Order: sequence, then C-alpha cells, then structure tokens
Amino acid sequence: MKKMPFAEFFRNNGPVMGSLLIGLVGFWLIFLILLPQLSMLDYSFRFNLPPAELGGPKDVYTLSNYEHLLYGSDETKQSFNTVDLKVFVRTIIAAIIVTIFNIVLCYPLAYFLGQAKGAGMARLLVVLLIIPYWINEILRAFALRIIFGETGLLNEALMFLHLASEPIDFIRQDVALYAGLGYAYILLMLFPMYNVIESLDRNQIEAARDMGASWLHIHRRIVIPHAKPGIASGSTMVFMLSAGALAAPQILGGPSSLWFTQLVYQWFNDSLNWQQGAAYAIVLLVSTIAIVLTFMKIFKVNMGDIGK
Amino acid sequence: MSSANLIRIALGAYLLIFFSYLLGPLVVMSLTAFNSSGFPSVSPWACFTFEWFGVLFEDKHIRDGLFYSVVIGIGTVILSVSMGLAASIVLTQVWPRFRSTYYTMIIAPILIPGVVLGISTLVFWDRVGRFLGVEDGSFLYGLFHNGIFLTILGQSSFIASYAMLVFVARLQRFDPGLTEAALDLGATHTQAFRKILLPFMRPAIASASVLAFLASFENYNTTTFTIIDYKTLTTVLAQKVRLGINPSISSLAFIIITLTVFAALIFEAVQRNKARKDAVRRGKLKTGDKGILPSFLRGNPAAIMLVLLSFVVIAMVGTAQSYSPEQCKIRVKEERQIEIQKRIDALKKARAEQQATEAAEAEAEIPAKPAPATSGAFGNVFAPDNLTTEEEEVDVAPEAGSGAFGNVFAPGNLSDEGAEAEEPPKPEAGSGAFGNVFDPGNLSGGD
Repeated sequence: MKKMPFAEFFRNNGPVMGSLLIGLVGFWLIFLILLPQLSMLDYSFRFNLPPAELGGPKDVYTLSNYEHLLYGSDETKQSFNTVDLKVFVRTIIAAIIVTIFNIVLCYPLAYFLGQAKGAGMARLLVVLLIIPYWINEILRAFALRIIFGETGLLNEALMFLHLASEPIDFIRQDVALYAGLGYAYILLMLFPMYNVIESLDRNQIEAARDMGASWLHIHRRIVIPHAKPGIASGSTMVFMLSAGALAAPQILGGPSSLWFTQLVYQWFNDSLNWQQGAAYAIVLLVSTIAIVLTFMKIFKVNMGDIGK
Repeated sequence: MSSANLIRIALGAYLLIFFSYLLGPLVVMSLTAFNSSGFPSVSPWACFTFEWFGVLFEDKHIRDGLFYSVVIGIGTVILSVSMGLAASIVLTQVWPRFRSTYYTMIIAPILIPGVVLGISTLVFWDRVGRFLGVEDGSFLYGLFHNGIFLTILGQSSFIASYAMLVFVARLQRFDPGLTEAALDLGATHTQAFRKILLPFMRPAIASASVLAFLASFENYNTTTFTIIDYKTLTTVLAQKVRLGINPSISSLAFIIITLTVFAALIFEAVQRNKARKDAVRRGKLKTGDKGILPSFLRGNPAAIMLVLLSFVVIAMVGTAQSYSPEQCKIRVKEERQIEIQKRIDALKKARAEQQATEAAEAEAEIPAKPAPATSGAFGNVFAPDNLTTEEEEVDVAPEAGSGAFGNVFAPGNLSDEGAEAEEPPKPEAGSGAFGNVFDPGNLSGGD
C-alpha cells in the first residue's frame, strides 16, 4: 500500500528532488517534532537520577512525576496538591476568558475592515495593525508594565482625576496580566477573522437586509456562519498561545500568582528536575489539545480550517 | 438617520478604543525613552533627553544578544524555509486519503506551546548525545549542548509551519503543466525545479524568509529553554525587564518601532506606486506630467509620510548630537529637592506632634528607631541639595519665581540650622532624633 505512492512520488519528482523533499519533510516531522515529543513523554515517566545511575537498576518507569502534580510531595497521597492544581485550572480558565475577550473585541473590527474591502481608511488601519504585530512580545509586555505599574501612567491618571486615592496594584490584582495576554495575541484573532469576512459576498447581506432581516439576524445567520473557520482558527491560536505564554506572566504577573508555564520553567531552570518539568509540560500539551479538540467538535470545525 | 449617526459614533468610539489599546502602550513606551527619569515613566516628566540611547548602545549584553539573534535568525530562515517549501510541495502530491492527516501533522507545530517545543528539543538532543555515547568535550557533545544549534532546531520546528502556509497559498496558483512541459522537453527534475518552480515561488520565499526571521528574532518561549549558555536579544530583554528596568529598553523599543513603521511605509508606498503605474498603463489614470511632487510621491500618501518621517528622524539624530539636558536636569533636581524639603517639614511637624504625645514613655527607644529610616533619606537628599542650592540659586530660581523659591528655601535653611535651636525646648527625645538625622545630612553635604 505504501510502496506504490512512494514509487509514484519518485517518478514525479526524480530521484534527487524526490529524496531531497522526503528528506527535509522527514527530518522536520521525525527529528524536530515526533521524536522530541516522544522523548519528552518518556522523560516524564522517569526518576530524576544523577548521571551515574542512568541505565542502572533505579532507572525504571514511574508515575511519580504525575502524582506530584496531583498530590504534591506528600507520600500518603491524602491531600491534593492544591497549589499546582489551582495554577493549572487558573491558567486554563484565564486562557479561555482571554480568548472570548479577543473574539468579542475583534469581531466588529474584522467585520468593519472586511466589508470596507481595503478602501482608503480601512487600508491605513490594516497597516497600523501590522505595526504592533512585529514588536517583540517582551517589549509589548514591558509597555503594559509601564502603564499598569504602581507609579505607572494609569495610576497617575486615576489619582489625577481623583478616581483613586492611592495607587491600585494592578499587577498584584492580575489586571495587567490579563490585559497583557489579550494584547499579546489579539492580532492572531483579528487577521483570520478579517480574511474570512473579506471573502463574504456583500450581496448576501444586502439580500438579507432587503428581505427585512434585522441587524442581529444578519450577523447570526450569515456573517458568523461564514466567519466560523476564521473565528475557530483565531480562537485556537489565541487559546494555545495564551495557555502556553511565558513572557507575559513573567513580566506582568503578580509575585504570588503563577502561570502553569512558569511552574514548568521553575522545574527546569530552578530545580533542575527535567523529568518533573517534562511531566508538567505533557500535562499542559495534552490538556490544551484536548480542550481545543472538544471545542472544535462542539462548534463543528475541521482541523483543515486552522491556519487559513 | 439618527440611528445611522448613532452607529457611526459607536463605531468611531470602538475604533478609538481598539486602536488606543493596540497602539497606546507602544506610544507611551516610546515616550519614556526620552524622559531622563531613571525609571521608565511619563507622568512625572523630568527632562527631555537622548541619554538612554547612549546607555543602550553601550550595553554589551544587548549587543551580544543582537549578534546571536541574527545568527540564529539566519540559521532558522535557511532551515525552516527549505523544510516549509518541501512540506508544501509534498502536500500537493500526497495522495488524497492521507492528505488531511498530513496537513494536521505539518500544521500542528504552530499549536504546540512554545515551552513544550523548547523542552522537547532540549531533552531529545541530550538523549541523542547519550545514545550515541558521545563524550563530554567531543565535537558532537558540544553540538548537542550548544545553545545556538538547539535554538535553530527548536525554532525551525514551528516556524517551518508558518513558512509552509505562505508556500501553500502561492502553490495553489501554480500550473503543474509548466513543470510537465519542461520535463517533456528533456529537462531533468532538478532543472525543472530550479528553472520553473523556484522562480515562481521566489516572492513567496522572500516573504516566508522575512516572516521566519522576524518570528525567530522575537521568539522567547522556545528560546529560553534551548539557548542554554548563550543569550539572544529577546532573552536579554526578558531578563532585564524582570530584574530591573531602566529606560534604555524603551529606547530600544523606540528604535524597533521606528524601523517597523519605516518598513510598513516602504512596503505600502511601493505597493501603491505599483498599483498606480498599473492604472497609468491601463490608461485609467493620466500621468499629469506637471506635478509639483516627483512621480513617486504623487497620489501616494504612504510615500509622503515616509519622506516626512525620514526628515523627523534625521532632525532627531541631529539634535541628539548637540542637545544637552543638563540645565533642565539641574532644575528638576532642584524642584524635587523642594518637594522633599516640604515632605521633610511635614514629617518633622508630624513627628514633633507625635513625640509630644509620646514624650513621657519613649525616652530611650525613639531616638534609635527613626534614625536609620530617615537618615538614609536625609543623606540622599542633602547630597545634591547643598550642591545645587549653592550653584543654581542665582541662575534658575528667578525663572521659576524667586519668591516661591525664596520662601521655600528659607524654612529649609532655617530648620537646618534651627533644628537644634528650636527643638530642644520640646521633649528631650525629639532633639536626640533630629540630632541623629541631621548628622549624615551635614556630612554628605560637605563632600
């Protein structure tokens, strides 16, 4: 079964180009994606041993790294590891909220730009949108920190207007973090939405309006169904990137509240326990993918729509 | 009619909010690059200065980071663009039943969190090294634990997907008949690829390369795990932002923003120029030879903005050479000193009152306690204080209103000397506290 198409592939591309193509794609998918993921999975089931004991009798598979997420270092497994679990749940829920916030904020603009079809003003707006897109993620987080900091612009403005009597700690309240996450990936929501809405035939809307459809009806029955692949694509990217964000939580997060990726980072860089870090990374990967697939099933979207 | 107006107003307000959310932080950050205040801020505006650019260019970490970022960026572009191109060509040929699975596989890296990609790359190559049994110190060991090598691999694993998306869009418009014709005419497959497909893909390769370079340049999540001993610009920035901030980062941001604006305007200007030339060629638009502006600028707002922006930047660089904010800095220092003096007076008053009430009990404890806390503040305050009052009283004070300055300084000077004279009548504990407080002040004022 597999032999024949490969033979055909080589006949179509010649031996040199054929093997070059296969070689590059194979290197990418096997050595950069598949095997690294598998070896991380394998790592997550092992003990954190000193190099001398690797391959020795103690080097066996274990679930202890995953148990640590559930029960903490408590041997009796009586109480749950509430600290880490809370961080995990918070990360997932906050990422979902950020995604919804971005959908709501981007939809009107995507509709406006998409329907303007690149005329004058709208074209300028698209150029304006691209500019922040190319600014470093760290710098964008830094910009928000200047605004939300204790002596930042927002606090100074609030105090100047006498809306607040003393500085509000936006960083500790996580306001800065959520604003930063929403800010970081908002354009990945906007552009897929804009692309699909731009391809919507304006006559459909005109026709619906002529037949007396209300404004709400037009959007619910015509625009949103048409924009669904774009919304799905944008939401998937925003959700995955927010849940996997590291820079924004490190820069904008309060000292007491952590993001799940920060736990992973700590296991790797502070505790030097790669196995434990790998287990946490696997949990993050599997749960975010599961959530995306669930939502795609609920809203009946195909994987092929992503990235369009 | 009024409802249409209402919608328009709502739309305007919404656009305003959206764009201020998107661009406002960048504008504020750019402004902080020109404020002489040591912490990046705009609201207590001190002095307009260019000094942070100097600080930035002096910074060795940032220069090193920039160098490694460029090296890694070039490596990532080469690897990810070739893998992306190969993957997109294979996508057009893969047999239909396998197609969606294959597409899922090559698109998936975009969706894998960057942290996970970084970790898996690190773990995998460490393991490859151990599997091959390479020894510590050998070339391969060095390679598998080399931050640049690992970062290029880690970044390429998902940037190749971005490149692939660009190529797929372009390949959809490719006519495979061209390749077949070349093959029929006796070209080898390699020749057909080089002479037919590659020239067709050139624009896509260019844009994919730019995209890949920028994505690599600004990547943090993957890089922070794979970079090990080296530093890229982004990881240097992240470290700086987390550990301690000064506005030289804002000045870097300002430079990046300016470059981005330039690039966007150039792109837009070229596009418009091309569109206009097409229109002229088709006879839809008259050339209008007698314009004031050169033809490139005509009907091309982006090009005009580009020229204006270039003038602004040149003017800025020019003033930066000659401009010196020293005068202003001295004035700001003085203003701050006045404010601190006021605060000191208020504090003094408050303490005097407090001590009056507590005088009976706290004879031994109070002098010891407040002294360390305030002595630091006083020490800092008085060092610049005494210096500037002597130098600048004549120059600057009249401008700001000599009356105000005179009034403010008078109590300050009075209390400086009079602290000992005035306080003693009050409870004994108080005089002890102030005696301690003023000691460091006088000391630092002397040097």
